[in-house]
Amino acid sequence: MERRISYFKQKGDSYIFAASLGLVISLGMVAWIIFVILSRGLSFFWPGDTVLVKLHNDSAYLGEIWESKTVYRLDAEGDEHEEEQFQMKIGNRDLYGRDFIWLNRADVAQESSPPDAVTIERREYGKFFGFIRAVQIGEERFEQPGAVLFEKAREAHRQATATRGRIKDTQKKLNKLMQPLANLQREITLLQLSPEAKTEKGRQKLAELQKEAESREQSIADGYGILNQELERLTLQNRSIILTMATAEGAEKEIYFSEIVRFFRPNTMSGLAKAWLYAGKLWEFVADEPRESNTEGGVFPAIFGTVVMVLLMSIAVVPFGVMAAIYLNEYARQGAMIRFIRLSVNNLAGVPSIVFGVFGLGFFIYAVGGSIDQFFFSDKLPEPTFGTGGILWASFTLALLTLPVVVVATEEGLLAVPRANKEGALALGATRWQMIRKVVLPNALPGILTGLILAISRGAGEVAPLMITGVVKLAPTLAIDGSFPFLHLDRKFMHLGFHIYDVGFQSPNVEAAKPMVYTTALLLIVIVVLLNLVAIYFRNRLRKKYRGSTF
Amino acid sequence: MEMLQKDMEKMAETAHPEIPVEFSALAGERIVIETTELDFYYSAESHALKKVNIRIPYRKVTAFIGPSGCGKSTLLRCFNRMNDLIPGSFLEGKVLIEGEDIYKNGIRLEELRKKVGMVFQKSNPFPMSVWENVAFGPRVNGITNKSELEEMVESSLKQADLWKEVKDRLQASALDLSGGQQQRLCIARTLANKPDIILMDEPASALDPISTGKIEETINELKEEYTIVIVTHNMQQAGRISDYTAFMMLGEMVEFDTTKKIFTNPREKMTEDYITGRFG
Repeated sequence: MERRISYFKQKGDSYIFAASLGLVISLGMVAWIIFVILSRGLSFFWPGDTVLVKLHNDSAYLGEIWESKTVYRLDAEGDEHEEEQFQMKIGNRDLYGRDFIWLNRADVAQESSPPDAVTIERREYGKFFGFIRAVQIGEERFEQPGAVLFEKAREAHRQATATRGRIKDTQKKLNKLMQPLANLQREITLLQLSPEAKTEKGRQKLAELQKEAESREQSIADGYGILNQELERLTLQNRSIILTMATAEGAEKEIYFSEIVRFFRPNTMSGLAKAWLYAGKLWEFVADEPRESNTEGGVFPAIFGTVVMVLLMSIAVVPFGVMAAIYLNEYARQGAMIRFIRLSVNNLAGVPSIVFGVFGLGFFIYAVGGSIDQFFFSDKLPEPTFGTGGILWASFTLALLTLPVVVVATEEGLLAVPRANKEGALALGATRWQMIRKVVLPNALPGILTGLILAISRGAGEVAPLMITGVVKLAPTLAIDGSFPFLHLDRKFMHLGFHIYDVGFQSPNVEAAKPMVYTTALLLIVIVVLLNLVAIYFRNRLRKKYRGSTF
Repeated sequence: MEMLQKDMEKMAETAHPEIPVEFSALAGERIVIETTELDFYYSAESHALKKVNIRIPYRKVTAFIGPSGCGKSTLLRCFNRMNDLIPGSFLEGKVLIEGEDIYKNGIRLEELRKKVGMVFQKSNPFPMSVWENVAFGPRVNGITNKSELEEMVESSLKQADLWKEVKDRLQASALDLSGGQQQRLCIARTLANKPDIILMDEPASALDPISTGKIEETINELKEEYTIVIVTHNMQQAGRISDYTAFMMLGEMVEFDTTKKIFTNPREKMTEDYITGRFG
């Protein structure tokens, strides 16, 4: 008997069991979080059926049922009652003042799925649930109910969308026409404010500028008039394409077609039609700009900002990290000093990221950016150009944050280069630098890429340091666009991680935005995985070339 | 084992260090490498070479033999200053190559190592193509002319008896070659630098007998044009390929003579014991 117990101990089965349990718990938690994000994130865009609910007290609601729960209540005699409640998204925020309502199952008199119920996604005020009453296109008005009315609504929507596109084009042309004049006027204002205006020379210059502004104003007056008229005409035209809707309780509401993103009858749609709509909404999410303080529409600017920031960070961190690692490993004389430096670099990885953010604000933005403004953009002061948060400073701050990761991974890569290869190069008359460049660095590239992968994973998910170095809730322009000099490193940007925080915790309509949080989180994970896959692909190709080294 | 160690130390102490090693066998030979009273320390406590005097003759094969840890590889690595890479090591005495002290200030290591090539115990081809491996030396020494490089690669590979085997796959990775081929590639790589002297540190110890035979053949052809110094553990190999042999023990040069003399009628008893396999 005793023999068996000691053998059991020798094998250490209990420890093996504990170790496997640890692994199972970790994996289970990872799988669970991915499942939650996937299921909630991906189901957000699926067009749900609309339900018409009539209560005993004659009120009626039309909308989507989201959740249900059971609550316990005490009645007058002190007995406990079970009550089932469900949550409905009723939309129509402009009419009801809220998007959601909780109803008691017991109060429901009748529940149905009317085939002619229409869901409208609007540019403002969220969704509208209701029934089509009338469609008006200019002078024509259609009221007879049925399939024809829905078709008419489709046609009206197409017209309104086209007109909306033309309005935008006209606005762009108008802006382009006005831009030189606006610049001139700005220059005049600045001159008037500066002490130079009091001198004779300043006055002369001012008069010249004002004269130029006047002549320019005259020269564009005709074009301005035409464009403005066109704009007015188009706007008026769109004001005459109107959809009249009725709510579940019969109240009427007029909506301009130009304010509608899309509308559909979910209860009559086939699975295929819904899938098509789903794909369209998914595409809108990835490729469009946000609407309604970020709770609707797409996240394209945030995707763009995240990717550009990660790329800038990589460009900044890899050369510095690699150079530092090469010096530490190949040139520096190993001793107490180098051990201390190495320890410091490793500890840098443990500094809270917000500290890096504060450093970035103090050093990059105020010190470096402020000086750049003084020397190169003094004409725009006091309005800062680089002396304020921007994508460049945010990327540099993150580069600093991920530097230790790259240094450590590169050092490990350098250490893994076989000593025999280094000696072989030196024995052939190569200098130390030639040896590093031709033998050591190519061999260590997989290790460097490992560092980059870790840096991307860490950097792409950071939010705290970005909040004080250049991330904004809504950036009107992207960091890269068609206007000279194409790459605008001073611009503020949007970021998926910050977007999650903003939509989930700062938006005025948190309940409606919740699914957006999951979807954005899913997208952030997908982007990090994609960036990593690219790096891993290159690493594997290199590994194949330099097999024998383990990194 | 301990007994043997003690015996060896005792023997070394009584090996008449005051009597200089005889170099009379070298009469008439031109001397390329000469050391005087060479001491080498890996650290202050580890004294690896003790007052070593040796002369290496021009365009002959000289073999260093001796038990493990006797300092023969260390001595070899003093000739191209590879020991400089070891932190904390230092050296006393002189090493003259063609009459020039290679440890004096102002010596360019790259020039020295180009002139004194080295082949290592374990083949160490770079993870590049065969062609790039051979062209590595000329390239780092500043040759960029493509046709000149082509010519150097071809002639080096031919000298190392590898041309026939690899001429169709010069662009293939050097790591795809067999062990023996890799070692001959390393020899070709060294030859491409057009060295005067080639140091070989047990070049065949990790190879099978057939590959070893090929390497030995190559060495026999090379000695027509190069001064070769080879460290070997293999007594028969030393007998087959070398003209002169130096026997070392515990950091001291015990005996130097023609290979024939060493293997048939050594002056020192210690040498005889080692060669006949009584220890080592």
